Amino acid sequence: MSSNAKTAPTADASVEHQIRSLAEKRHLPAPHLEQWLALDAPSRARFLEIAQSLRLRTGQLLGALDMLAEIAVRERADVAAILSKPQVARIIDGAGSAPERAHQFIEEIRALRFPRLRASVDRIRAEAAAIRLPRGARLVLPKELGSDELTIELKVRTVAELEKFISALGEKRSAIARIIAMLGGSDDV
Amino acid sequence: MTFELDAVFIEEGSRGSALAERIAGALPPGIPIAFVPDGRVAAMPDGSADPFGAGKRRMVVMRRRTPFLSACPAASTRFVCCGYLVLAFASNCPMDCSYCFLQEYVADNPGFQVFSNYADAFEELDRLSHASPGRHFRVGTGDLADSLALDSLTRLSGDLIDYFAARENLTLELKTKTCEIGNLMRIDPRGRVMVSWTLSPDAVFRSSEHRAASPAERIGAARAVLDAGYRIGFHFDPIISYPGAERDYAELADALLDSIPAARISIVSLGGLRMTPALKAAARRRFPDDPMLCGEDVLAPDGRYRTFTPLRLKLYRVLAERFERAGAKCSPYLCMEPASIHERVFGAAPERRAAIAERLAQA
Repeated sequence: MSSNAKTAPTADASVEHQIRSLAEKRHLPAPHLEQWLALDAPSRARFLEIAQSLRLRTGQLLGALDMLAEIAVRERADVAAILSKPQVARIIDGAGSAPERAHQFIEEIRALRFPRLRASVDRIRAEAAAIRLPRGARLVLPKELGSDELTIELKVRTVAELEKFISALGEKRSAIARIIAMLGGSDDV
Repeated sequence: MTFELDAVFIEEGSRGSALAERIAGALPPGIPIAFVPDGRVAAMPDGSADPFGAGKRRMVVMRRRTPFLSACPAASTRFVCCGYLVLAFASNCPMDCSYCFLQEYVADNPGFQVFSNYADAFEELDRLSHASPGRHFRVGTGDLADSLALDSLTRLSGDLIDYFAARENLTLELKTKTCEIGNLMRIDPRGRVMVSWTLSPDAVFRSSEHRAASPAERIGAARAVLDAGYRIGFHFDPIISYPGAERDYAELADALLDSIPAARISIVSLGGLRMTPALKAAARRRFPDDPMLCGEDVLAPDGRYRTFTPLRLKLYRVLAERFERAGAKCSPYLCMEPASIHERVFGAAPERRAAIAERLAQA
């Protein structure tokens, strides 16, 4: 028996112990703990390393486990392979505080899980930002593009402010119409 | 019969009924039949790891205690409604599509129930027909069950077609994912019966539609019943957004239109995959490796996971344009979508509910 074969079960038991301990500390629901432990050995160990180094909070752990499981099914890849993608590794190994990197990590996992949604949101956001409405007026996109409804938010205290906004919206009418069309899929999704 | 059963339970009150006799007479050897005092108990979840899946293999012949006829459960003021009426002749289905809403809807009574007092439904239909003689109604049996999956055992299609063929203002829609059309070919529907198929690309069929006929087989069966005098329809529902979906749905529509001219198709419906969180959880638990359940679905304002809006609309447009270009006699309708989505896809506000219902019933 090789020395590797001797040490592997011990290492694996240690990883499992650490996962259980972190799960208890973060009050991870039992199904998510089971999901984590059901991953292949390199995947659960790698996710543990990341969870510890980025100090992922409970919600982040839950979201990441769910999204990684679904990415694994979509891409027919194991979680360790997904976590070793350059764009993910760059965040994990990058500079910045643990909470900042944890946030970036979750956003990158979300981008991998929803690649076309992310691209669509980025394009629409860029168009919306280019409109440059006056301060106090804002275009609010539907959450995760779950509907086709654009919200236009105006904060007014005086009639003069209201008139200024109405005038600005009129001037930007065609650009806003373009956003409305993009929300309806007219863009190259 | 192409579907397997583990056992048949017959409620004592249904013993000797025409349906029970037919089923008992047509069952392949080796399937045990047991008589039970209350079919509702036999239809409840068993103690297995997958009670919904087990329920599909346990047929329960029993009396229906509630009305057979109801509005489509998908109807809501939030959505444009097609006026479809549901006739519940059975509950659950021997096929096992990973996305099926029954996984949530009949989770508490998953046994495959068929109702021996189905003739009571004809009285309900008579009342409907007589109450509104000037209106046309489209009534389907394919909501809580596949209309034809076990027709070789139950032969219900014969009774239904005989009834509807004699009613001027009622259209029967038999909705299926099978090729079980043998009984249909022996009856003259007199133009009052529509047979419709749910159609999905091969990728969805292979990944998600377990024990269903292939898309090509469904199109072939549709051609056969069309030639036998039936009206036909197609439901592209659920439309699933996976990589390559736009191309696959376009090719599927082309394959259909190569076999059947658009002008001979009575109705086409489109509906994006929609899953409540509970359904999604149940489906993922039962089919953890199905990538079709991991599309770019987000929580929509109606509380269901749906493909994010611009992509969903793009998929609708791919299909709508195909049928429009091919000269479809009526434009497709969208299932469970609000008026704004109809307007964006078709470029015009939808008709009123009564007008849509009338048009589809007579299509």
